[in-house]
Amino acid sequence: MCLPLVLSALLGVSAAGTARRLPPGTAVRLLGVAAVVTALSTGFVLAVAGMLVLAQIPPVAALGHWSGAVVGSRLPVPLVAGWLAVAAFCGLLLAALRRTAWAGRDLVLAAIACRRLGPSVAGLVVVDDEEPDAYALPGIGGRIVVTTAMLRALPAGERRVLLAHEAAHLRHRHHLWVQAADVAAAANPMLRPVARAVRAGVERWADEVAAAEVGDRALTARALARAGLARAAVRRDRAGSAALAAVDRAVAERARAMLAGPPPGRRLLSAAVAALILATGAATLVTSRDAEARFEAAQSAYASGTTDSYYSHT
Amino acid sequence: MAVPGRRRGALEQEVLGCLASAGRPLTVAEVQAEVGEGLAYTTVMTALSRLHAKGALRREPAGRAFAYSLPEDPASVGAAVTARRMSRLLDSGEDRAGVLARFVADLSPEDERLLTELLGDGDPVQKADS
Repeated sequence: MCLPLVLSALLGVSAAGTARRLPPGTAVRLLGVAAVVTALSTGFVLAVAGMLVLAQIPPVAALGHWSGAVVGSRLPVPLVAGWLAVAAFCGLLLAALRRTAWAGRDLVLAAIACRRLGPSVAGLVVVDDEEPDAYALPGIGGRIVVTTAMLRALPAGERRVLLAHEAAHLRHRHHLWVQAADVAAAANPMLRPVARAVRAGVERWADEVAAAEVGDRALTARALARAGLARAAVRRDRAGSAALAAVDRAVAERARAMLAGPPPGRRLLSAAVAALILATGAATLVTSRDAEARFEAAQSAYASGTTDSYYSHT
Repeated sequence: MAVPGRRRGALEQEVLGCLASAGRPLTVAEVQAEVGEGLAYTTVMTALSRLHAKGALRREPAGRAFAYSLPEDPASVGAAVTARRMSRLLDSGEDRAGVLARFVADLSPEDERLLTELLGDGDPVQKADS
């Protein structure tokens, strides 16, 4: 019953390393699916653990027509843990629902912003601005927004990299992977490193798509470097060094990964993550059948009026 | 329009980016020289005249050809406001970054050094518009 919890902890601990070693497209898809499956599974296991405790309360047992004593016999979890599970399940469910609502709201806001940006040519909106910036905005069709300063900072070949990168975000619906992993991490905080890995992974994924499109990894790395430096120069002049709070190592790491050559396939590692997903699913299934058998036994005990525990397997 | 080696709409985006960064009207030959790795003159010309036909570009006669530029569209002021609001959201580091994906985030001083080195390596640091 604790296996999904153990597996989600394992996934959380190994996420960053896994994402670094796998090709980014594979990493994002595998980790995204793993996060969602694991979050659902841990949520389910918590719910079952909580249910086993609640089902023992006499009024609840009477309502359900089962024997509370049989439900409670040889429980795989101590009673206190069961109550903790109830509390954790409620708290995490609320967190996940809230995060899902945010995701929905952000998608709506993005769609509205897309409309406000007005008509575009091939999905590109050029904005007259002195700060070099570029981003993809998902929505109906989606938009790539690039400032004139960013366009001026890059030679034509590197502009092509930038456009291919942002188009890849939209084409592969990267925001959905990021949001799914975020919701999963809200439902199971042990998965937070997975959500971070997915977020970083989609950038690497878009870099790889762009490099394949222009057919030049070095050019892609240079585009990242030049865009990053152009942005940093203007930002520093504008804000002073103090305001740059959200600094991360991502850009230099992405450029380095680009220069390191195409990522190897690593079938074994992919298979290991897939196996972890399957194991989580299987463990959940076992828990579910276990609980079902327990309740069936409790119900027939209630029906025959006995309260002896004849529930034998755990 | 399918251009070999490019995804749909890529050439239009590149042409637009090229004209926006130039900041002055460019002839077909000039645009081809900028974006045109392996692109035929006629391909670039077709792209430009299609964009003009859609109203996305302005053109003026320049010698025997046309020079193309971006129209100064009053509607783009509203677009700029929206875009700036988006950038601020990205800066604030709110969860909305899950929807928006920025090309490059801010750099640490260490990153700046590494990236400057990267550009210096075998590739002369150049200004695009020089």
